[in-house]
Amino acid sequence: MKKLHISTSLAALMLAGALGAAYGADYSPVTDARLKNPEPQNWLMTRGNYQGWSYSALDQINSTNVKSLTPVWNIATGVDSGHEAPPIVNNGVMFVATPYSQVMAMDAATGDFLWRYKRKLPEGFAALHNTSRGVALYGDKVYLPGLDAVLVALDAKTGKVAWEAKVEDWKTGYYMTMAPLVVKGKVLVGVAGGEFGVRGFVAAFDAETGKPAWKTYTVPAPGEPGSETWEKPDTWKTGGASTWMTGNYDADTNTVYWGTGNASPWFGDQRPGDNLYTSSTVALDGDTGKMKGHFQYHQNESWDWDEMNAPMLVDFQKDGKTTKGLLKPARNGYLYWLGRNEDGTINYLNSQAYVPQNVFKSVDPKTGRPDVDVAHKPSTGKAAKFCPGLWGGKDWPYEAYNPKTGMVYIPSNENHCNTLEGKVEKRVLGQWWTGVAVPDLNFSVDTKAGFYGELQAYDVNTGKRAWRDLYANSMNWGSVLTTAGGLLFAGGTNDRMFRAYDAMTGEELWHFRTNSGVMAPPSTYSVNGVQYVAVASGWGVDPAFQQSLMAELVGWNADVPQGGSVWVFAVNK
Amino acid sequence: MLALAPWAVVRARADDPPDPTSIRPQIGDHLVYFDGPNDGKPIRVADLELGGPQVQAYPADPKGLLRDNSRLNLIIVARVGEDGMSEETRANAAEGVVAYSGVCTHQSCPVNMWSVERKSFVCSCHGSIYDPKNDADILFGPAPRHLAALPLKSENGLLIVAGPFNRRLGGEKG
Ligand code: FES
Repeated sequence: MKKLHISTSLAALMLAGALGAAYGADYSPVTDARLKNPEPQNWLMTRGNYQGWSYSALDQINSTNVKSLTPVWNIATGVDSGHEAPPIVNNGVMFVATPYSQVMAMDAATGDFLWRYKRKLPEGFAALHNTSRGVALYGDKVYLPGLDAVLVALDAKTGKVAWEAKVEDWKTGYYMTMAPLVVKGKVLVGVAGGEFGVRGFVAAFDAETGKPAWKTYTVPAPGEPGSETWEKPDTWKTGGASTWMTGNYDADTNTVYWGTGNASPWFGDQRPGDNLYTSSTVALDGDTGKMKGHFQYHQNESWDWDEMNAPMLVDFQKDGKTTKGLLKPARNGYLYWLGRNEDGTINYLNSQAYVPQNVFKSVDPKTGRPDVDVAHKPSTGKAAKFCPGLWGGKDWPYEAYNPKTGMVYIPSNENHCNTLEGKVEKRVLGQWWTGVAVPDLNFSVDTKAGFYGELQAYDVNTGKRAWRDLYANSMNWGSVLTTAGGLLFAGGTNDRMFRAYDAMTGEELWHFRTNSGVMAPPSTYSVNGVQYVAVASGWGVDPAFQQSLMAELVGWNADVPQGGSVWVFAVNK
Repeated sequence: MLALAPWAVVRARADDPPDPTSIRPQIGDHLVYFDGPNDGKPIRVADLELGGPQVQAYPADPKGLLRDNSRLNLIIVARVGEDGMSEETRANAAEGVVAYSGVCTHQSCPVNMWSVERKSFVCSCHGSIYDPKNDADILFGPAPRHLAALPLKSENGLLIVAGPFNRRLGGEKG
């Protein structure tokens, strides 16, 4: 079976009917042990492992043969908008979440369509981002955070609802787009809504029953540690710090690392103080959710620079010693090296800009606290221009770490800015409440720079940039996958390309033009000894909005065709 | 036999009295402020600033029963004046005041922002811009359809619903 190639896929296809019907019987339940040490042939969680590396140890597809990568199957998702979920694969079964809270299950080798779950969203429901960043697996269930802030558990074999748990009231502005993180039998979720004045939290539910286990707010209430950083009464109640991306987990210390979003409303002078734990990484106990530590990237947030992505757990060299660390390319344009301590506390080690940034005059080498240039800090009644703009040096798309090359790969954007001026606005429950209206975001770009999007590689020990690839006519919204085959896979550009790069040199080795723009994280897996690379293509949400602004600014085509589709590739020998 | 079951279900629902707080606006309904300093009061033509921006509203029956139990009933109201109004919009307007569904046809977000530059409605999610004087024609953004217009008349200075929405409500998906 090891030698099964695409040329024999006809035989596989003939078996498909039987496989499709029988697969339920041999679905392999996902256990804590499997999540801790995921088998290379599977892609059991969004980032591939608890450390958040977006790395696969598979190397059948490598820098020598990747030029022969060919599509082997493809399936339409039937919906538009931004597809942001990776194909999750467990022993030959693939699960893909799509916009509008749907999940599709396929045979990962043949593309046989097994089932679809379609959530019925409430009448009049609206979300800023109708996307999903994926499902989580545990036992024989599949977990989907519904946009309407309800966590849904599905039977992995049938797609039938096993239980539903209300996380929050969507009418108040909360919604959910991240993939859950499963830790020791609990399903952890975060919430979006930082533009609607919500108060962020991470909540855990029993994986078997859906019973709520714990809930930890990311903005402290009066009297709790950190509450002194909300100097104006009541501002904490609507303070933001949403939790809209999946956390990472250190199983050795039982610590969950979760990122938090911007403070709300957007203008810091309306909520004086540092505003903990906005734009931070929080460290939570894996059993109780109790906060063990935190690191705030910038205080009194005023740039819509969410720090929603959890840092990667990477052990790097520091002063000649291997250091248990956290590595994070932040939305604020800096790359951070942090210490991951036994007790869950986080300490600052180092940082450097990975894109030009005009807000930090310096960063305190001991604490990591930036000295902010107020000329570039927007506030109420005072316009200020800052670069990178509100989409940051990078937005949510995942960076990747390859332990074989020792490099971190960052999908980033530069030469763009925003000029914002705040207003005091009354909050209407469930409506946009940032202090600035969408038509007044004043996005601008440096048209002489020659590029906007880029893919960059840095050595995690020295911080030296190894290579970069520049995109003259596109931003980069592509999450990165890296493999032991010495490769990087990423899309992210408005030309609908999906690309493979040499991880060492940055040379583009292969590309394929898909149906739409690729914003989803790619994943890789193998079935019967054949390695596959899979990715969803489907443009929408912020990249589409930004593209329409670029159409007005520099004449790009505003129409990047939408409509989702899942592509699966293998090497045709 | 299979076909009978859904039919029976539909019958049962049709017999239930419709919830008056979530049915679409009815002829004779008032429009009531949803936010701002006059929250909860019926809208009078004279209160509205000439030239915009819009205010948000829900319909209410003449006794004041608010139909705010459905988000699809969110209405935007603006006194844009009759100058340069299209035929169609003029027919639905009262004293230069226009009303439209406040639910974006893209993905259902509230169209609650105003562009001073274009004197137009702007959606709060992805920036679609609708022309209030021309049947909510799309000037920018991903919206696929005009907003539904709500015909108005004025009685003793109060704004009254004069007819049903002129097209389908809400976004494309979801
Ligand atoms: S929902 Fe209005 S522009 Fe998208």
